[in-house]
Amino acid sequence: MSPPLKSMLGVLAARGLQAVIVALIVGIVSFAMMYALPGDAAYRIAAGRYGYDMMDAAAAEVVRLELGLDDPWLIQLWSWIGQLMQFDLGNSLVYGSPVVDEIATQLGFSLLLAGGAVAASLLIALPVGIVSGLNPGGLFDRTSMGLSVFLRAIPAFALGIVLVLVFAVQLKLFPVAGFRGFDNLVLPSFTLGIGLAAVSNRVVRDAVVDAMNADWRLFSRTKGLSSRLTLIRHVLRNAALPVVTYVGVQLAYLIEGVVIVETVFAWPGIGHALVHAIFGRDIAMVQGTALTLGLLYVALNLIIDLACRLIDPRGSVA
Amino acid sequence: MIYSIEVKDLSVFAGSTHLMGPVSFKVKPGGTLVIMGETGAGKSLIAQAILGTLPGVLRAEGEITVNGRRVDQLYQIDRAALWGREIATLPQEPWRALDPLMRSFKQVKEAHRYVADRQAIEADLATTEAFEALGLSGAEQRLPGALSGGMAQRVAFAAATAANAPILLADEPTKGLDSARHAKVVGLLAQVPQAGGTLLAITHEASVARHLGGTLIVMRDGTLVEQGATDAVLKTPSDPFTRDLLNADPQNWPKTQSHTTAETVLTVRDLAVERGKKCLFEGFNLDVHAGEKIALTGPSGIGKTTLLDAIAGLLKPASGTVTRGQSLPRHGVQKLYQDPPAAFPSRVPLVHTLRDVARRHKTDWSRVMQFLEQLGIHPSLLERLPDEVSGGELQRISIARALTVGPKVLLADEPTSRLDPITQRETLLMLDRIAEDEKIAIILVTHDQSIAQKWADREISLV
Amino acid sequence: MTDQSNMMALPHLQHKPSKLRLARVLGFALLLWLAIVAVGGPDLIGQDPAKQSLLSTLERPSLAHPLGTDHLGRDMVARLLSGAQLSLSLAFLSVITAGLPGTIIGITAAWFGGWIDRILGAFADAVLALPGLLLVLMLAAMSPGSWWALYAGISLTLWVEYFRYTRQRARIVLAEPSVEASRLLGLGPWLLVRRHLIPEIGPGLLTIAAFGAATAVTSVAALGFVSVGIRPPTAEWGVMMTELLPYWREAPFLILQPVGCLVITVLALHLSVGGMRRP
Repeated sequence: MSPPLKSMLGVLAARGLQAVIVALIVGIVSFAMMYALPGDAAYRIAAGRYGYDMMDAAAAEVVRLELGLDDPWLIQLWSWIGQLMQFDLGNSLVYGSPVVDEIATQLGFSLLLAGGAVAASLLIALPVGIVSGLNPGGLFDRTSMGLSVFLRAIPAFALGIVLVLVFAVQLKLFPVAGFRGFDNLVLPSFTLGIGLAAVSNRVVRDAVVDAMNADWRLFSRTKGLSSRLTLIRHVLRNAALPVVTYVGVQLAYLIEGVVIVETVFAWPGIGHALVHAIFGRDIAMVQGTALTLGLLYVALNLIIDLACRLIDPRGSVA
Repeated sequence: MIYSIEVKDLSVFAGSTHLMGPVSFKVKPGGTLVIMGETGAGKSLIAQAILGTLPGVLRAEGEITVNGRRVDQLYQIDRAALWGREIATLPQEPWRALDPLMRSFKQVKEAHRYVADRQAIEADLATTEAFEALGLSGAEQRLPGALSGGMAQRVAFAAATAANAPILLADEPTKGLDSARHAKVVGLLAQVPQAGGTLLAITHEASVARHLGGTLIVMRDGTLVEQGATDAVLKTPSDPFTRDLLNADPQNWPKTQSHTTAETVLTVRDLAVERGKKCLFEGFNLDVHAGEKIALTGPSGIGKTTLLDAIAGLLKPASGTVTRGQSLPRHGVQKLYQDPPAAFPSRVPLVHTLRDVARRHKTDWSRVMQFLEQLGIHPSLLERLPDEVSGGELQRISIARALTVGPKVLLADEPTSRLDPITQRETLLMLDRIAEDEKIAIILVTHDQSIAQKWADREISLV
Repeated sequence: MTDQSNMMALPHLQHKPSKLRLARVLGFALLLWLAIVAVGGPDLIGQDPAKQSLLSTLERPSLAHPLGTDHLGRDMVARLLSGAQLSLSLAFLSVITAGLPGTIIGITAAWFGGWIDRILGAFADAVLALPGLLLVLMLAAMSPGSWWALYAGISLTLWVEYFRYTRQRARIVLAEPSVEASRLLGLGPWLLVRRHLIPEIGPGLLTIAAFGAATAVTSVAALGFVSVGIRPPTAEWGVMMTELLPYWREAPFLILQPVGCLVITVLALHLSVGGMRRP
């Protein structure tokens, strides 16, 4: 097997394992939640399956027998996880509809927000980082450094509040919350994007500084390539590698940010649904949304891994 | 007569601080100029000033003419137009000069394609030819990280000379290469003037200068100390510094005396050592006597360091035995390292490190100070961190640290390969004196044949 | 929850020393002040953060209420102080709870290697499989409104960072020639830890601790803000933001107070270790 293919399979295997771990953790915590919350678990599961309207003591009894809720907890956990592994997520306790259907519509919105956030962060971080990196120690570099430290200290939801108060309520440039059109995308995207860019612009800057000072850049010039060719053939690829790798590091922040920022802006996505479900103790929804967010995190990581492989032929395991 | 390079009163400044110069020289087509001196003597500044690659904070004064054209007044963009086409540059550290993400063939081909302005097919052919001519066949699809130092230097050579620039600047082209590869690169450079080109080589090694011939400039602390025909300067140097520099060349060392005694301190029998699963060597035998100086030579990667580790007991041998003599105390085998700063805890002042060792072995502090004095180390240096003293000083402090333990065997793993020639000579002479005074056996790993012959009582060559 | 440089935690302080020192002095001064405030809490001003007064709601700053009153007429200063007490004590405790075991286990893993290292590494990877805040959210959901659930969840996710950093750095340090030299020279394990590991790892651990504390403070507020963390009527900065948001038009100075407290706290923590941390 050729080394690139082997390293590619290694990446797939590692992320596959991570996906299984995510499912296990979400399943186990949801199972524990079932028992930790006050009330009868059988009622709760029956409600999850048939909806509150269709549910009564008999239905709960059926569930109790079927799932063996009187069995040792280890066996119960086993069947709980088994169901999860078949992607049987049950019905929402609040809406009564299948969790899968709810998530299907929400996922698109969350992806849209995540994409918007990454786009906004790159829109800020790339120009700021490149200009800072071309003149390290200059006025622009120092200013952007100070701003980065300050903006980084503002949590996403606090920044969201401030942006809403200024741009939506005071200046009326953008809608406050919800989703009616793409106008709504701007504020939440930038709320998250600014937080991401506060760090990533420094990474871009360092990558540019490193690339400009690299021996290989000078050698490319002294062997006779023009600065344009050196940029295209050597600098871009080398500088892109740490930046793309860092986007991977920021994914955790992105997913967490999606959860919080969706709530601030009443964005109809999965994160909002998760918070809503926790508040309403809708365990089936909690499990479904947390699992989806977790798997989304894994999938995005996989994309970054593959992008790094594409840029870096060395095939080292990051 | 049009000279390839003509330099008149070249000086380099950082702000108002004078760093280097003035130097003046002329090189004809087919000629060679060698610039020799220790680290920090300002040799590289000359090459950078000619090319126009001095860092932004530095400023050059004086006249520089390349192929009859005054270049020091040109705009940067016009100077850059000479690169690769009129002046080729061989980098100091080829590994770092090659793009780590691009395969070696492509890095050479792009020079043929865009610098020599060849069609894609012709560039392919020319690159393939270059790889064959330089003995690089098979390395075409390798990334720089997978090339050996010698191969990387030849790939860089192929890329730099693709457009047949008549002038070649080579800044320390043999840095970090072992003796076999060293000779190959020097041979490659020597061909340049033979083919009618002009060579400007920078080196700290007299042997490289001797091989290349031509004219020689000797630099010290930014000042030119001697200039003349290479043969003449090397034969009859007029400046004392040049003499020191030449005396520091291991070829010119006097042979040291043997202080070997009859006492055996260490016996190695049928030793076999593995790295990973690969057997490096087997059936190795050695008797080490007190006061004996042994040199261990062999090409890189043969397992010299691994052998030392096995002798020191840091590594379990695959088979065979290392038997310690009866008089050898538990910590009687000590080691010196190639990179002195790496051998000390980096954030702890040196005095703590030495005191720790003295306390552990109940050595009187005055004895430690005595060692330091013998090695020419001022006690005030001990207040500093390891990276705040020079490599030569640090290596001597590490010798003192080892002596504090009261060892019988000292394993020295290329302890001077990162030091300047004069410092290298001083350090090895000190080790010789220690072998005599303290009756310590020293096993020296070196890649320099001359050092092995002049310094050691006997040489063991791993092949 | 997760600090963004989590996976490649190699703290660097790469500024000019003088500016760095200025930033750190400023950060430390702010931290000291916050610590005093947090230890004192509402007792400092002798006001009860829970005492309502429906006759004087949404009041502007006055002598009796230096920062005004909220929608239920409660004194803002007392509530902010009480929130500081809650957030900072939780942050401090979770940093200790996560830091000590994380560091010790990390060194253990690097020192012994082998299967111990592999098991611990796998456990850390499992915790990191999910974004940290997601894990804290789910744990908080198990016992809604509980301080302990938050504390446990935050400590559990913060722990990994110390472990991974210590293990990675210690592994590199222990493989250095200087450690081999010290061993050959006969220096014992304690001196190896004191002369090699602590000086190399200590500054990085401080950075992780400061950023971890900032993460903890932010998480508590974020969860409070989205109503799944600490519950009203407890005075907690995130909860206060939610409560005061509807009144931004009548009293914009109120909502900005908890936001400001949060930002100052996080900023102080970041500045105290030099402001920026990145791979």
